[in-house]
Amino acid sequence: MNFKKIKIIYFKEMKDILRDRRTLISMLLVPILLFPILMFGMTSLSMMMAKKTGERVNPLVIIGGEEAPSIFSILKENKSFEIVQEKDYSAALKDKRITAALEFSKDFERKISAGDSAQVKIYFDKAEIQSDMASDRLGNILKTFQDSVVTERLKDRNVDRSLLHPVRIKMENLASKEKMGGFFLSMFLPYMIMIMALTGAMYPAIDLTAGEKERGTLETLLVSPASRGEISSGKFLAVFTASLVTAIVSTVSMVISAGTSFAKFKEAGEVSKEAILSISPLSILVLFLLIIPYCCLASSILLSLSLFAKSYKEAQSYISPLLIIIIMPAMASFLPGLELSVGMAFIPIINISLALKQILLGTYNWGYIGLIFLSTALYAGLAIFITRQLFEKEQVLFRT
Amino acid sequence: MDDVNIECKPGKIFGLLGLNGAGKTTLMRLLSTVLKPTSGTAKVNGFDILTDSQKVKASIGFLSSDTALYPRLTAEETVTYFARLNGIEEEIIQKRLENIFKIFDMENFRDRRVDKLSSGMKQKVSLARTIIHDPEVLILDEPTLGLDVITSRNIIQFIRRAKEENKCVLFSTHIMHEAEKLCDEIAIIHKGRILAVGTLGELQNRARLKDLDEVFVKLVGSLNEF
Repeated sequence: MNFKKIKIIYFKEMKDILRDRRTLISMLLVPILLFPILMFGMTSLSMMMAKKTGERVNPLVIIGGEEAPSIFSILKENKSFEIVQEKDYSAALKDKRITAALEFSKDFERKISAGDSAQVKIYFDKAEIQSDMASDRLGNILKTFQDSVVTERLKDRNVDRSLLHPVRIKMENLASKEKMGGFFLSMFLPYMIMIMALTGAMYPAIDLTAGEKERGTLETLLVSPASRGEISSGKFLAVFTASLVTAIVSTVSMVISAGTSFAKFKEAGEVSKEAILSISPLSILVLFLLIIPYCCLASSILLSLSLFAKSYKEAQSYISPLLIIIIMPAMASFLPGLELSVGMAFIPIINISLALKQILLGTYNWGYIGLIFLSTALYAGLAIFITRQLFEKEQVLFRT
Repeated sequence: MDDVNIECKPGKIFGLLGLNGAGKTTLMRLLSTVLKPTSGTAKVNGFDILTDSQKVKASIGFLSSDTALYPRLTAEETVTYFARLNGIEEEIIQKRLENIFKIFDMENFRDRRVDKLSSGMKQKVSLARTIIHDPEVLILDEPTLGLDVITSRNIIQFIRRAKEENKCVLFSTHIMHEAEKLCDEIAIIHKGRILAVGTLGELQNRARLKDLDEVFVKLVGSLNEF
């Protein structure tokens, strides 16, 4: 193995892939644009939805309104409800002409005034978000009404209200600011970064192997005095570079756009003014440290699969199932109950996903981090060895 | 390949003549160490293809219809890349580059990307790539396949020039008159075996036929009758 030759091959491959539009798009353009668009879209959409539902007037059918004149007048004055007439409330609800229906039992208010209890029914459609929200609102209005009745009755009997609330519950959030800010990122970032590192390396890997076979340049390279080991090393390093660059660009892009949209939420008052989205430089550093062996692993798997393929298309069909195989365990960061354990630290992909999540939440369990780094490096080493062996196989290189 | 025994000397052009699938490409890939023989060996420029494959590869210029060029590199980048892989020093690369570009009349497209070149220009880049490390042995697998008349002629001239420079040229074709025109020695190869080796005159005498076409048909045909 001659390092000078590996360097020559590496620089040539880098030059080659940087002139390939597909690689540039997947390596730089997609991560730079995807996250701001995604974040901006999500922020605007959720704000729009919140605003819309707040302003929306809910058509409501009241059955037996004359039995409950005081509630009827409360609802009549409430701006978010509009009382309409419908003969068949169930059909109207189905057709979304109304969002809910109220049915008062006979002598509703009279029974309550007499110190008795009476029933009111809310009809709604749980599967429709508008209807569900309207029913919540109605429930709240009715509860307020009930509260006032209770207060009145207690007052009549000279009983203190605190009798009803012997336990006062107070909740206080002790999560660090870093943890609050990292919470959202800790779910998405590990998953996204792992997928992006894979897609960024995909085109270079195919291009430098199956693509070379298809264009007939592989034999030109094989008859040159570069050894198979030098060729596979140079190619591996180029694919690894593409993978790592994509991962870094994705992380930076995602952190910046998450910060920007977080600030927007703050302006709109959706999160409290004290919350800060802070990601410490240490967590970014450890994140990149763990992503390096992962990129090695991903790059050599991609290289092996596409080296085996005869053409670009064949390579793509081998890689699509791989994407699913990696996407599923990478989603581990989304599962709230899943925590790292020693056994877990040896499961590839899942271990990185969970470790990145912890790191972004500000928890550094160095034992696990070291173990995961080593186990992933081990898998990567094995994968690189296999790739290297494949480059020696005539049946693979000249598969027809 | 089975029981192939041939010798090709410096300053001579050795032709491999055979139908498609006769084993010409396989033989040449074996000699260039891209494929490994299951048994037997060969020496190229004094180096064994099994034990000294790096030195063998450094001694040969290999050109075939399967050795395409990188479309996204320019002509000059392509030739420089292979020169560097051969371990040639930058100064010498520069000198040889100028020389080769002049001989092949490539000055006007040296900075153009290969995918923007005509097939004739590409063939010139391929030839430049083949000889940039000044190899002792040239292995040319059907170098004129699918090329127009003018480009083919350039290649024929290139082979003649190589002979004058005392290179050893191994060259395969299925076009009889090319072999007749160029080769000092011809081997007729069929189904992985060498049917006959000799100069054109020797082959003609042995078959008692004048035309190489007919010599070939007679040799291959007699085998097919069995």
